[in-house]
Amino acid sequence: MEALISWISSTALCQAIQNLEWAVPTIQSVHILAVCVMLSSVGMIVLRLMGKAGLRTSVADTARRYVPWMWGALIVLFLSGLLLIIGEPRRELTNYMFQIKMFLVLCAITVIAIFQKSAIRNPDFWNHEPESGRIKMMAVGALILFFAIAVAGRWIAYVIMDYAAA
Amino acid sequence: MDVDSILQKIYDWPISEAIRTDYFWFPFFESIHVIAVTLVVGSIFIVDLRLLGITSNKKPVTELAKEVLPWTWGLFVIGVCAGVLMFISKATNYYNDEYFRYKMLFILLAGLNMAIFHLFTFKTVMHWDRDVPTLTGAKIAGGLSMVFWIIVVFCGRWIGFTVM
Repeated sequence: MEALISWISSTALCQAIQNLEWAVPTIQSVHILAVCVMLSSVGMIVLRLMGKAGLRTSVADTARRYVPWMWGALIVLFLSGLLLIIGEPRRELTNYMFQIKMFLVLCAITVIAIFQKSAIRNPDFWNHEPESGRIKMMAVGALILFFAIAVAGRWIAYVIMDYAAA
Repeated sequence: MDVDSILQKIYDWPISEAIRTDYFWFPFFESIHVIAVTLVVGSIFIVDLRLLGITSNKKPVTELAKEVLPWTWGLFVIGVCAGVLMFISKATNYYNDEYFRYKMLFILLAGLNMAIFHLFTFKTVMHWDRDVPTLTGAKIAGGLSMVFWIIVVFCGRWIGFTVM
C-alpha cells in the first residue's frame, strides 16, 4: 500500500491536482452531480417497487428508463472518484471509511446488475402480487444500501487520519 | 440589534456549540443534507430533462411531475432543516462566506424560474403534455433549472472548503 501511495504521489497528475486549488472541489462537485443522478434513479425505482409512484408504468419500463442512467452515473462516479484518489491517495486508500464504501459499492453494482436483468427478462415476478412483500423489502434494503454509500462517502472526510486534512 | 450580533447569539446557543464541537453531529446532519440535496436536484433533473424533451418522453409531463415533485418538496424541507442545523453551528462564518451567499442566490433564482414557469408556461400544458415536443418556454425553464441547480451543488461543495 505504501509503495502504491508513494508511486501515485509522484505522478504528474497527482501533483497537478494538489497544486490547483480548485481541482479537488471541482472534481467533488462533479462526483456529487453524478450522485444526484444515481440516487434519484434509485429513488424512482424504489418508489415504483413500493407502489408509491409511477404505477402506470411497468417495473420493466421503469428499469429501462432509469437503469441506463445509473450505469452512466457510475462511469462518472468511477472516473471522478479515481481522480480524487490520485489527488489524495493517502486520504482515501488508508481510510477505513473509504474501504467500507468500496465494499458497499461492489454490493450496489451487483444489485443494479441483477435487478436490471431480472426486471426486463422476468417482468412477471415484479408484477406478481404474492411477491409484493418480498419486493418491498428488497426495495427498502437497496435504498438503505445506497444511502449508506453516500454517508460513508461523506464520512471519509471525518475519519481521524495521521495527518490533518478534511 | 444588527445582523452580526444576532448571528453571534445563534453561534453561542448550546445546540450550535454542540453541533460545532461534537465529532458526530456535524457529519451526521451533513450526511442527511447531502442525501436530501442530491435527491432534490436529481428529481428536479428528471422533470427538467422531460421539459427539454430528452428523457421520459412517452410519459405526459403532468403525470411525471405528479409522481416526482411531491417527493422533491418533502426532501427539500428535510434538506433545509439539516442545512439550518449546519448553519447555526457556525452562523457568522456561513453568513460571511461568499459561496454560501451565491448558493442562496441561485436557490432563489431556481425558485423564481420555477414560479415563472408555473404562472405562465405551465398554464398551457394540456397542449404539449404528451406526443408533441414541449414548448420553447418549457425548454428554457428546464434548461435554466438545470444550470441553476448545478451551480447550487458547486457552491455547496465550495462552502466546505471556505468555511473552516
